[in-house]
Amino acid sequence: MKAKEVLGDDPEIVLADKRYDLVSNILATSLVKGAKKWTITDMLDKVFIHKFLGIPVFIALFWAMFRFAYDASAPFMEIIGFFFESLAEASAGIPNEVLASLIGDGIFGGLGFILTFIPPIFFLFFGIAILEDSGYLARAAFIMDRIMFKLGLHGRSFIPMLLGFGCNIPAMMATRSIEGEKDRLITLLVNPFISCGARLPVYILIAGAFFGSMATTAIWSMYFLGIVVAILLALLLRKTLLKGEPAPFIMELPLYKAPTFYGSVIHMWERGVQFLKKAGTYLLAGAIMLWFLSTFPWGAEVELSYTGQIGQALAPLFAPLGFDWRIVASLVFALLAKEIAVEALGIIYAVEGETAIAGALVASYNPVIGFTLMAFTLLYIPCVATIGTMKKESGSWKWTIFQLVLTLVVAYVVGLVITGIGTALGYA
Amino acid sequence: MVYTVALIGNPNVGKSVIFNNLVPGARQHVGNWPGKTVEKKEGKCVHKGTELKIVDLPGTYSLTARAVDELVSRNYIVEEKPDVVVHIIDASNIERNLYFTFLLLELEANVVVALNMFDVAKEKGYTIDVKQLSKQLGVPVVPTVATANEGLDKLKDEIVYAAQKKGLVKVKPVITYGQKIEDVIDSIVDIIKDGMLAQKYPPRWLAIKLLENDKDVLEKIKGSRHHRELMEVIS
Repeated sequence: MKAKEVLGDDPEIVLADKRYDLVSNILATSLVKGAKKWTITDMLDKVFIHKFLGIPVFIALFWAMFRFAYDASAPFMEIIGFFFESLAEASAGIPNEVLASLIGDGIFGGLGFILTFIPPIFFLFFGIAILEDSGYLARAAFIMDRIMFKLGLHGRSFIPMLLGFGCNIPAMMATRSIEGEKDRLITLLVNPFISCGARLPVYILIAGAFFGSMATTAIWSMYFLGIVVAILLALLLRKTLLKGEPAPFIMELPLYKAPTFYGSVIHMWERGVQFLKKAGTYLLAGAIMLWFLSTFPWGAEVELSYTGQIGQALAPLFAPLGFDWRIVASLVFALLAKEIAVEALGIIYAVEGETAIAGALVASYNPVIGFTLMAFTLLYIPCVATIGTMKKESGSWKWTIFQLVLTLVVAYVVGLVITGIGTALGYA
Repeated sequence: MVYTVALIGNPNVGKSVIFNNLVPGARQHVGNWPGKTVEKKEGKCVHKGTELKIVDLPGTYSLTARAVDELVSRNYIVEEKPDVVVHIIDASNIERNLYFTFLLLELEANVVVALNMFDVAKEKGYTIDVKQLSKQLGVPVVPTVATANEGLDKLKDEIVYAAQKKGLVKVKPVITYGQKIEDVIDSIVDIIKDGMLAQKYPPRWLAIKLLENDKDVLEKIKGSRHHRELMEVIS
């Protein structure tokens, strides 16, 4: 007997149809549907996932979220900042000068400095939690996926992508739900371009220093830059290395629910606590290591310290972007975790005797360099933990290394474009 | 005796809420979007003196071999053979969800259906005859509203009951595909039923998956001594 004679060319569909017939038969006797009611979810979706209104609403809601995170956290940042600056000053009184420098410049100046960014990280996660719990985030993903699908890309990538707003690691793990190896690989490769919570301190430091009342817009633009780069790169990969047809785009949207304060606080905590854990381990160890590298050989200028040597060795490569040895050294260390860029700048300046980091940045750089640095931090090589996840999820060193090269090249090219445009417009 | 209970279902139907409710002290991330659970999570609970190991599987729409998470869930059920598989259904989307129940029944899992989001279904104007549904599926069906902790005690009762009587009842297949297709299925079952694979996997399920050209199962039969014979029927 031949299966084809009975089932035809697409047996999977024939069997599925049979199952659906059986489902209808069963439900015919056990389900009575009342008149279709016009629910709140239907009403909201008329606007939120509207063909034309969907995108402006998405953009506006995200802008509002960053505004909220930035403004609400400002007083708390002042308090924490004042606290650590006072401690750093007090530690100057420690008689042993090496110990005084370790505690004052390394721990309080570096780790303490990065801890001032706890409030914006938590407020941002609170905003994301509200959008998530309400069911809106799934719509945001749907809107992006609709664009992706129209471009010939896999249409279920953005659910994992938007998870990346918290951290890229769970986002990469979530790609397991994507059908088709190539579609999944594309999503994995472009995932690090979606801005995670760890990049936020860099944005806030730079945007706060250079962009004043436009700070929120500058931060928000990074998130959109990330999305745009991710889509463009996905498109490029689809047309070149990973050719193929996308799977059909079907997505189920959850019901809208009123988020509860308690529920959103729990979600904020679940994501935020990761940062606290990192602060107690990686960032603490990072601060000690950075302090050591920036103060030794003991007595030398920071410029001649190990950090200075690393930075200066690589600085010529980054001169076209306007980055000096301080920034380059910070970016090298930030491969461990992106927040370390901020921690490293804090320590380098602290060792130089500077506590007002934002002021020092304005004195050394211009807004174009600032914006380029924000974009570069967003796009360049992901942190070690993300690289490890890429290896695990893709199962391939080849693609992992490809991702490292890809992200570095993209970051550099985008950096050059920003520098060029910014200089042409006369902001440099 | 500890019974293993797997939770499975479409994404965003409340699996993690039910998991958190069943397992004391569990704090699985619960959020309003599909795809939160990507790795299976385990926890323990005791209900009326019976110990249960609860496993929360990733939410999937189907059990094909196309996506990694679907394969993880499916392999868990066929290979680990949990004592009970609780299929959590979104009652307000019952048609699509029941399709998945069929896939589980084909895997010959010991299924208990939790008809979750029962309140949402009611709001939508649905009236569901739970007893009738249970009779037709041949498995227990419990209406629940997990977020309000409704129906979960009843669900636990049914889980324990199902776990204990496991193996005593042999249900005839609920899903039949009509004489012609059934004949093809039977002919494949006849070929594989004495083989190694049939000891590990339900032969009828293997036959159906072979007809569907399932990548994973096709791979599995490659080493079988019946490989050529099977390919003649399928291709």
